Amino acid sequence: MVDESALKQVMATVLGVPVSAVGPDASSDTIPAWDSLRHMNLVLALEQTFGVEIPDEDAAEITSYALIKVVLNERLAA
Amino acid sequence: MNKPVFPKASADTLAILSDPSAPLAQVMAAVEAAEALGGQATSAHIGISAGATVDLLGLYLRRHALTAGVSLKVSKGNFDDPLGDVARFEDWGVDHLILAPFLDALEPAFEARAAMLSDDEIDLRESELRGRWRLVMHCASKFRAVFLCGLHRVGAPVAGGDRLDAIVARLNAALREEAAGFPNVRWIDMAGMVAGVGRRAALDLRFYLRNAAPYAPALLDEWARQVTAVSRAYGTRFHKALVLDCDNTLWGGILGEDLASGIKLSPHDYPGSVFYRAQVEFQALRRQGVLLCLCSKNEAADVDALLDSHPDMVLRQADIVAKQVNWNDKASNLRQIAHDLNIGLDSLVFLDDSAFECEAVCGQLPEVTVFQAPENPIGYLAVIAAIKDLFLAGGAMTDGAEKTEQYRQRAAALAERQAFATQDEYLASLGLTVTLTKNDAARIPRISELSQKSNQFNLTTVRYARGEIEALMADPQAAVWSLEVADKFGAAGLTGVAVVRYADDAAVIEALFMSCRVLGRGVEFAIWPTILTEAAAHGCARIEAAYRPTDKNGQAADFYDRLGLTRSGEANGELDGARSYAADIAAFAPPPSPWIEVLNG
Repeated sequence: MVDESALKQVMATVLGVPVSAVGPDASSDTIPAWDSLRHMNLVLALEQTFGVEIPDEDAAEITSYALIKVVLNERLAA
Repeated sequence: MNKPVFPKASADTLAILSDPSAPLAQVMAAVEAAEALGGQATSAHIGISAGATVDLLGLYLRRHALTAGVSLKVSKGNFDDPLGDVARFEDWGVDHLILAPFLDALEPAFEARAAMLSDDEIDLRESELRGRWRLVMHCASKFRAVFLCGLHRVGAPVAGGDRLDAIVARLNAALREEAAGFPNVRWIDMAGMVAGVGRRAALDLRFYLRNAAPYAPALLDEWARQVTAVSRAYGTRFHKALVLDCDNTLWGGILGEDLASGIKLSPHDYPGSVFYRAQVEFQALRRQGVLLCLCSKNEAADVDALLDSHPDMVLRQADIVAKQVNWNDKASNLRQIAHDLNIGLDSLVFLDDSAFECEAVCGQLPEVTVFQAPENPIGYLAVIAAIKDLFLAGGAMTDGAEKTEQYRQRAAALAERQAFATQDEYLASLGLTVTLTKNDAARIPRISELSQKSNQFNLTTVRYARGEIEALMADPQAAVWSLEVADKFGAAGLTGVAVVRYADDAAVIEALFMSCRVLGRGVEFAIWPTILTEAAAHGCARIEAAYRPTDKNGQAADFYDRLGLTRSGEANGELDGARSYAADIAAFAPPPSPWIEVLNG
């Protein structure tokens, strides 16, 4: 299972928001700074922090905390 | 070996910034933390104008700047709009500029289309490319430095090469040719960089098709590293001398124990071959203008004997400009070397195999850049590659090949000084000549280089880019004087510059800087009759000059007092130790220096 506090830390750093803003409901709708550029950086940062590769079909889609958690858990289990 | 660059930053932050494998999120946090702490000695402002999305390049540029002690502001341009970017960046105060045209964006799907283009169509693309980027570089000639990044393919190469390879090579050759006309432009070899990082690690096609962002973090990080190196850490770095330990650095083994017959230095045997190769590398640096020095705990006579006659030694006495071979501590010896060569400690790079010596020098002389030679031969060659990068990135040091000879002449002159009763008698024996040359375009590169690196005898410390000197020379209301000093020991080359602006009835000395190699002989006083005669002919009745203090130019603080000018600015409230001066040209008489013959170039 993904380390959720590490996940929140990475998201907060890359999106430039406080960790407290990254709750279970966080998404590109609730965090205005989460634009397409930052999203790209977020995917790259998640891959490096958790040592996984996120496939092309998921990379563009995972624009919420919940979806990111699902995909990371899939990858970590693979 | 890393030096503590920011005394205030935490050890963690430093470790992350200099760890090439640190993950992206950590690098982001560390860059923010280091910038928030501040304490960097200098700052710079870079603009990025690219034909692809390179958002993270800014982060990595800031990272590499911080590890060099520079706080870097990054401005991002619009997508593929170099002319607009250049205009905006100029308004924003950008001083360094990255121009990154992107091959596949020359027109939609250019890489796929290229194979179908006829020779005539390629000719047309080439002339369009030349015209567009010539104009961009022309508009960017005021920036301190411009990094023009070459084209490269994103698609996989075809085994054995294909037509696209030939087209890319041709377009890059055209861009380089255009860049050669602009002295502030440096070339960044992107195709070589992609190959060096490895295509699979360098490119990330997931975000290319969707977001026009082709590069993976590994490539962006290396790109930023190269820009930082080529900019010589945004003009803060100018290393001049490589100071070498001897045992286990120039040869394998300990000379005092293994004796000349037992050291490892044969080109045909391992591990002697590693040290032989190292010496060849050092000698090549010497030929490219690096001053080589020795700093070793050994018997001086033993080391001299090796330099004179050991059959496998590559380095000889003539390659070495200063030697401190004795049993003193290395920090004292390095100070002595800096003193003898009349250069700052921050111009020295020190290489030693001993962790103890390296730590001691880092601790006592943080200005010196220190490298430790590891036992592992592959690691040793990697350290030498890093040293080469430090000295050579951004182009070989100009005017440098003769430098060793000039510094040796200075040492010989020092030795001769002791035989004369008075300083004037000694100076008279030198046969000194100063050749003053006005507005000579051929000397622009050297003038600009000297303005960048002279620190001690530099009255106003204005750093001129080549284009700025060119503009001054073209300006009828200004004059750029360069001076070349020679004596019976040899010519010292272009070693001083005075920049004069004519404003109404005043000749304003905007800048005056000289290499410390030629100070102490009266040259700095001998040049004024020529400069002021010219100013008077221009209608000037007064001379105005100023001293602006920096950390390093204290020795020049009272120069204009000694020259005989009158302080003029005290009443106007000079700030922070700055001084301003004026005098009537007709009444002004600088101290005489009859032992110098002044020639017109």
